[in-house]
Amino acid sequence: MMLLLRQIILLTGKDLRIEARSRQTLGLVIVLGILIIVVLGLGLGPEQLTNGASATAALWVAYLFAGVLVFEKTMSVERHDGALASLLLAPIDRSVIYVAKLISNLILMLILALVITPVAVVLFGFDLSAAPWQFVMIMAMSILGFAAVGTLFAAVVSSTRLQGGLLAIVVLPLALPLVIASTQMMIQLFRDGKPIGGTGLTVLLAADVLYLVTSWLVFELILEP
Amino acid sequence: MTATDLITADKQSPQADALDWVIRAVGLSLHIDDRAILHDLTFDITAGSYVALLGANGAGKSTLLHVLATLTVPTAGELMLFGKRVGRGNPAIRANIGMIGHQPMLYRDLTALENLVFFGKLYNVKNPIDRAEELLNQVALSHRADDPACTFSRGMVQRLAIARALMHDPKLLLADEPFSGLDMASGRMLENMLAELHAQGKTIVLVNHDIEQSLAITQRAIVLRQGRIVVNAPTRELDLETVIQEIGIS
Amino acid sequence: MKQINPIFSGIYWLTTLALLVIGVVMVFAYTPTEVTMGPVQKIFYLHMPIAICTFFSCMVVFIASVGYLWQRKAMWDHLAHAAAQVVVIYAAIVLLTGMIWGRAAWGAWWQWTPRLTFSLVLWLLYVVYLVIRPSIESSQRRAMICAVYGVVAFLDVPLVYLSVRLMPDIHPTSIELEPAMRNTLLFWFIPVTMLTVGLITASFRLAKRQAACNVIRELPMPKSKTPRPLGTPLSSGNRGVV
Repeated sequence: MMLLLRQIILLTGKDLRIEARSRQTLGLVIVLGILIIVVLGLGLGPEQLTNGASATAALWVAYLFAGVLVFEKTMSVERHDGALASLLLAPIDRSVIYVAKLISNLILMLILALVITPVAVVLFGFDLSAAPWQFVMIMAMSILGFAAVGTLFAAVVSSTRLQGGLLAIVVLPLALPLVIASTQMMIQLFRDGKPIGGTGLTVLLAADVLYLVTSWLVFELILEP
Repeated sequence: MTATDLITADKQSPQADALDWVIRAVGLSLHIDDRAILHDLTFDITAGSYVALLGANGAGKSTLLHVLATLTVPTAGELMLFGKRVGRGNPAIRANIGMIGHQPMLYRDLTALENLVFFGKLYNVKNPIDRAEELLNQVALSHRADDPACTFSRGMVQRLAIARALMHDPKLLLADEPFSGLDMASGRMLENMLAELHAQGKTIVLVNHDIEQSLAITQRAIVLRQGRIVVNAPTRELDLETVIQEIGIS
Repeated sequence: MKQINPIFSGIYWLTTLALLVIGVVMVFAYTPTEVTMGPVQKIFYLHMPIAICTFFSCMVVFIASVGYLWQRKAMWDHLAHAAAQVVVIYAAIVLLTGMIWGRAAWGAWWQWTPRLTFSLVLWLLYVVYLVIRPSIESSQRRAMICAVYGVVAFLDVPLVYLSVRLMPDIHPTSIELEPAMRNTLLFWFIPVTMLTVGLITASFRLAKRQAACNVIRELPMPKSKTPRPLGTPLSSGNRGVV
């Protein structure tokens, strides 16, 4: 158990060190996220933006597209120079590679969220004070499920020569239950002022568990150098 | 030379002590979509031997090496490494294998030292920093230890890749075209390094396009043609012309 | 590949067609017109069986995808692809019939109700499955990506169902079924199921045949036999040469 933990920390540390050194991912995705929010803000106009649903939707769009870029880039680090093969050669479980990559993606998504959420809140006049912790919880659970599925497919897709929009197009429809559940809960919370019931959180939890377990099981089967 | 002469079994009989062979393949096959890439391969590689894997493009050499490295699962047949059967959930076996592939298998944004220390830790090497510095010395890269791998020339990258493969002191070294893209001096250095490793008792399987070079530096040659073994004999019994003929055209 | 007896195939399709015609006659001559909705309600007899068969086809995609991940045999990929094509067609029918029904009920072609949203997302999920296939060159990689997608997409279906339950439901309706309506509905399941199985099978066999043709095209050309000069010893090269 300790060994597994050490291996995961080693792999995640490697990813974060590379990101800190190359700085190719974070800057790019943060700017992309901000651009998306600005474009949506311009498009929707002031009347539309006053309810919590629009801000949430705009945030989701930003998370989804920027997130896909994060997953692509963290996986492409392994594809350059065939580094993934060296991980597959090492005496570690394949699932360790998955968990470490997932944690790296989550950390980067967290940083992304910390930057662009305030941007959306300010640009859209989104009043979070009604239910700030529920907002954080809903977003955190949604991003976890999204990252679980995104990490899996980034590994599956990245070995093809054509990447481009391929990862986005496979991950987005699969993430729709998360989008639907979280936006409905946000509407309930911020537009209607009602507390969220157990059903919504159960859906998010079920989604997270399903994505995590499935991805973890399938990852073993799909990795090829 | 008759047909049967070209496949001479290793001096050890199959009943020899399991520890004497490092690799034992029985009926290894790899099919992809009903196409046979590797067909019914049976061979032994004894401990401490230096084997060349030769063949034309598409003959299956790299594929076989991937199977030996446990990176690819064969569709049929049995592979045993170090006396243990290679199955799906067997990561510990890989601790004894080192591989130099077509690609360097390094992280270009990390420095040479960071790369080696990372892999050292991954393989639970004791004192990975000392070991890394020792290997960097051996491949003449100590002066570039703190430079990121992306600043290295092709030859230097290859030398770093060799150091990476040796970090955990593997008993079996698999090398896939390690000389490709190397200049004369680096190529010579690699030849010497491999010879030195062989002298230390390591088992080396080398895939190489240069037949003449392979026959000169290795002990045994296995030639593949369209996924089948057509030659498996000590190199001293082979001559260049025969091997070229056996390899055929891809 | 075993050939299906063309006579059997012909009888099968004629029977399906005949049953469909009978079904249509039953809908218009036998069942009463529902009071609130009018004749548009009759679209329900098509909508419901097709919806059930859509789920059945989704399940086939799932099983075939798992089969591919487990055995890596191309035939599983062909089966998954065939079933996915049926899912897309059927889900489109479910969606359109639902929209027609909604237009009659609420006066609008679209409302973000749980049912319609669910149909739309389901259709999208499997459209993506079909759309990504041409973008991936290697048949192996394509089968792999689609297999993983096929597994996760199916597991997604109950999640979508649950998440749309959170949406406000406009005009929840339920229809009381008279015996005649119930019989007609049950009858419709027969030709629709036959159609489903027939379509999946036909598409599957077509895909297998196409793949076989591709393999033949990719085989290397046989080596030309150049005459050997006299006196050159025969090499062992005769073994194992295609």
